[in-house]
Amino acid sequence: MAIVAPGKRPGDRIAASKVFGKKFIRGKKSGNTGIMLTSLIDVMTILVIFLLMNFSANGEVLYMTKDIKLPDAYHGAMLERAPVISVSAEAVTFDGRMLLSTGDLEKGDVLNVPELEDALRDEKRRYEQIHANDPDHPFRGLVNVQADRRIPFKVIKRVMFACNQSGFGNINFAALSRSPGESKTVTASNN
Amino acid sequence: MAGASPSEHVGKGGKKALDVEFNLVPFIDLLSCCISFLLITAVWTQIAGLQVASAGGPPEQLQKQENTIDVKLLLTEKGYSLTMAGAAIEIPKTNAAQGPAYDRKTLSEKLKTLKASLPDQTAITVQPEDAVAYSDLVETVDTCMGEQLRNVTVAPLN
Repeated sequence: MAIVAPGKRPGDRIAASKVFGKKFIRGKKSGNTGIMLTSLIDVMTILVIFLLMNFSANGEVLYMTKDIKLPDAYHGAMLERAPVISVSAEAVTFDGRMLLSTGDLEKGDVLNVPELEDALRDEKRRYEQIHANDPDHPFRGLVNVQADRRIPFKVIKRVMFACNQSGFGNINFAALSRSPGESKTVTASNN
Repeated sequence: MAGASPSEHVGKGGKKALDVEFNLVPFIDLLSCCISFLLITAVWTQIAGLQVASAGGPPEQLQKQENTIDVKLLLTEKGYSLTMAGAAIEIPKTNAAQGPAYDRKTLSEKLKTLKASLPDQTAITVQPEDAVAYSDLVETVDTCMGEQLRNVTVAPLN
């Protein structure tokens, strides 16, 4: 017996009829499939607007690492691009280059840090050479200090002293920017 | 519907349909490029900078104004000590959930009072002890800046 598709099977007379025959004709589906693109474009447009609002022309000024947790600041200014001194619990780095161990800075009473001072002087010399014929960009002695929130002031003090000795008098302490509207913890400050 | 493959629609009687179809493919391409670029260049953490001067640095160019005083804020293990014009105000640490913490709320009120009596005052010297954590120093400097004392000098206590 022949295999036929399930469904109604009209007789020859009805199938040939102009009136009733159309009910049983299965037309071919079109090969083109229409995709609803409106919702896709809506989502993409919202994404573009969100990302444009968050866009920062400055880019990444600091090297964010896992072992440095920055404190919060509600009244800070935008951080300018400058040499970065990072102080984590393990090491002191200058522009991503490790200079010495943080433990070494916690020992002793002397203030000077020769390794850091040399690196800063080299940086100053390099900047002055590059901008020798550029009076619009004089050396301002700007340096960004990024330290973990638990680092004692004894270490920071020595870093600041090294900056001063090398001519970097404008020190910027890095902190996570918080807007005053956010949950402001004025009294909660704990080591 | 707006689709990617435009086709000729002819209405009844050979009239052209009023529906207009845009070619959305270039628009989607543009949006995709924008999203990729913005995602790659996005900066998710906003970093603030608190500019301070350190003691022993280059001398300030501004002349000292007559109606300002030397204000010193000491950070010790007991709390804040605000010294100005021969008087000292002690602000002890408060007991927070995680242990003793610097009372920045009271400090903020004291600085507000100071600023109200001396509106031209913008300078303050913050002197932390060696054991004071970086977070306490930064948050104290931030509190000073919040009370319009913008010229903050950080100097060691001893």
